[in-house]
Amino acid sequence: MYQIIKPLKILLLIGLLQGCTSVVVDEHKTSVTNSQWQQGEQALVLGRRHSSNYETELSLVSCVADELRSNTPIEVIDELAFINQLYPWFEPRTAPMRLKDMKRLLRNQQIATALQQRNLRYIIWINGNTETTKSSGSIGCAISVGGGGCFGFGSWEKESDYQATIWDLKESKNLGEISADASGTSYMPAVIIPIPLIARVQSNACEAMSQQLTGFFNTGGSDR
Amino acid sequence: MTLLTGCESTVEVSGNYPKPLIQPMPVDGGLILDEDFRNYSFFEQDKRRWSRTITLGNSQAEMLRTVVPSMFTSLEVRESMPANFSGKPQLWLHPTALEFQYATPRETRLKLFEVWIKYQIKAYDNQGQIQADWIVTAYGKTPTAFLRSEEEALNLAVVVALRDFGANLSLTTPKVAELQQWLAQQTQSE
Repeated sequence: MYQIIKPLKILLLIGLLQGCTSVVVDEHKTSVTNSQWQQGEQALVLGRRHSSNYETELSLVSCVADELRSNTPIEVIDELAFINQLYPWFEPRTAPMRLKDMKRLLRNQQIATALQQRNLRYIIWINGNTETTKSSGSIGCAISVGGGGCFGFGSWEKESDYQATIWDLKESKNLGEISADASGTSYMPAVIIPIPLIARVQSNACEAMSQQLTGFFNTGGSDR
Repeated sequence: MTLLTGCESTVEVSGNYPKPLIQPMPVDGGLILDEDFRNYSFFEQDKRRWSRTITLGNSQAEMLRTVVPSMFTSLEVRESMPANFSGKPQLWLHPTALEFQYATPRETRLKLFEVWIKYQIKAYDNQGQIQADWIVTAYGKTPTAFLRSEEEALNLAVVVALRDFGANLSLTTPKVAELQQWLAQQTQSE
């Protein structure tokens, strides 16, 4: 019996292990808001999708939005619902890149009314992506009448690089930028069964960025 | 047989398109969605690529049926070129899909599926005279995702491109020089 439990314990221990990830977060405040966040005001997390060689992942944007919903009193609007309501003004081709473009957009009465109805105060733009930078090793699998299995070792490195820019629409200010860089290596040893030890690179970047944003909003965007 | 059919695929594009939040032009409009446009499909001819058919006619017609009503005071949709242009619409739009291209991550080494579409738009007045003729381009991309098939990714990229077509059409049509001139004449004559 002990002979069966021991390998199971080892497998469980390996399963609980994860690839290592390191995260660096920077915050840069460009201005301080004069008024505190008020009940009913909403925030919106939007991904930048104008770049030709990458796209900010929907999963990252919704992860940050969910974290803000859980950890701040601010109501966070759903990204897709907002983009559809304001179509065609927040498409990759038309979305305002700078605050002065947003101010120009707000001169359009229809857009201004739609945003006022939503009581939207903050727009958080997230730009960046996660990519696999290096991979090595190989795993071979075989199957026969007597059974099957895999043997080998694989590893891959991932890097996340995201920047969040916070606009205060009420005060027409760029409040600041938060950047989160994360990197980590995942491993997959295979002795009969492949055991993935996944580094949660994107999730850790999301958590780090959300924590910083939470601090930002819990102090009402004022200087700390 | 499996090997022969393994590299063939068909993508029937389907998506949801929102109504645009725009100021309509002060004229009654018409939209001609002819059979070629409604049944438009792209067939891959390049033998070095996978044999693929992308059917987007239905979806692009659906997108225009949602977007174009917001561009005019009222809209009449016809499924063929009218024999007689007289009637309520003062300006008819007739779109034609000219070119379709796509790229997969295998080809570009980017983790993106990309789609480019080129349209020609002809605008006729209620006498059947062409008032403007211009090109509208559309671009869409979607990142690769774990457990998402190539067909799903291509469908998403085409839907993004069709949204881009709708955005481009709804925002740039009133800025087409010939149409601005024609609209000014209409306002003066009223």
